[in-house]
Amino acid sequence: MRRIALLAAAVTIYAVAAWMVAPGFYDGFGPLQPYNWTCPPPQAGANTKPGAWHVDLKVIGGVSDAGSAFDRDGQIVIGFLPGAFAATGKTTITVDVTPLSTCPQSPTGIQFVTNVYQITASAPLVKASNLVVLYSNLEPAPTDVYSATDPAGPWKSIGAQQQAQQYTIVTTTQSLGYFAAGYSSASPRPGAVTVGGGQALPIIVAVLIVLVVLAGIPLAVLRRRRAHGGVQEEGDV
Amino acid sequence: MSLVLRRTHPAVRATLVGAYVLCIEWARVSIQAQPGLAIAALVIGGVALGAVAFGTPADRLGLGTSRVGLRIVGGMALGAVLLLPAAVRSSAVPILPAGLAVAAIAVSVGEELAFRGALYAALDELGGAPLAIAGSTAVWTAAHALSHPPAFLVAVAAAGLLLALWRWACRDLVAPIIGHVIADLAL
Repeated sequence: MRRIALLAAAVTIYAVAAWMVAPGFYDGFGPLQPYNWTCPPPQAGANTKPGAWHVDLKVIGGVSDAGSAFDRDGQIVIGFLPGAFAATGKTTITVDVTPLSTCPQSPTGIQFVTNVYQITASAPLVKASNLVVLYSNLEPAPTDVYSATDPAGPWKSIGAQQQAQQYTIVTTTQSLGYFAAGYSSASPRPGAVTVGGGQALPIIVAVLIVLVVLAGIPLAVLRRRRAHGGVQEEGDV
Repeated sequence: MSLVLRRTHPAVRATLVGAYVLCIEWARVSIQAQPGLAIAALVIGGVALGAVAFGTPADRLGLGTSRVGLRIVGGMALGAVLLLPAAVRSSAVPILPAGLAVAAIAVSVGEELAFRGALYAALDELGGAPLAIAGSTAVWTAAHALSHPPAFLVAVAAAGLLLALWRWACRDLVAPIIGHVIADLAL
């Protein structure tokens, strides 16, 4: 009885602890940090709103210095090469990265899976810049980064590189504006071939419970009969 | 390695096994963050974790062959318990791409053999069940410190405690392996 009571207590502790965090925390398949949403999807659980940030790039001898700009949460990072900006007559270039709190709807034919970010600078961008966008494991992986000069659109794909760290999508951009990662909703949903999650999870759990009940009852009856029959069993299972 | 470890003092053995699994887990997490290396890191990490149990008698690992049916049913029950908090939430469902399925199985089996198998056995020999349960849970939690935000570690610890208590209460590792595999595959 003591063992059963301790197991029951452990189940209760686990249920409470698991309820406090977003699901999917097993074995590091998820991102190192939870994604901070401007408009969290229902499955996000506890959420911290993302914040804006800005950097000042020095202009040395009329050439803007190399550097990176990012939002407060590091969920979007843009890297600038030396001379990335038309910096004539300036001493610094200010770059602002702001998550849009208005949460623009995904345009027709595109499904965004990240926040929409606005990146502005105090000088025009003249060199292609590297753009890294983080995404959440609560949504399908994006296939492209999209950009626009106005959050109402039109949005166009600026592609994505093949190689990137887990839960990041990388591309280059020739101009600043609005950015989000997503996929074309006309094509099959990326990551559609899955082994779990999605709407399947409640079904998986229900099947497991049914199997445990259906298999457990006969096994318990058999065990009881053997015990009454005086058969000595090895192990404690 | 386990053959060598078996000849050492229990305290030394437990320390070495704990240090080994921590190093493997932290290395796995560091490598899988590199582009294109995630699946390889998970699979190799899982195999490396399982290797620590090599040479340890099956009964000391909790891998006896008696009552196989009950062990399997127990594994399904553990899987259901591990998944239940996510399942009852409306659409609270991360998606595991199919490509990670093999990696998920390798890591799940490797972790159970390492934490509730070899490490539990070493700690049990050193200080009995309380040390085995508490110690394996503590090392399990520390092993996940690099891959999980601090807020998640309480849930990780609770899962480790549940699996370790099952290992103690039923002297069984088959059910934790099955439950762990189901949980990793389903989320």
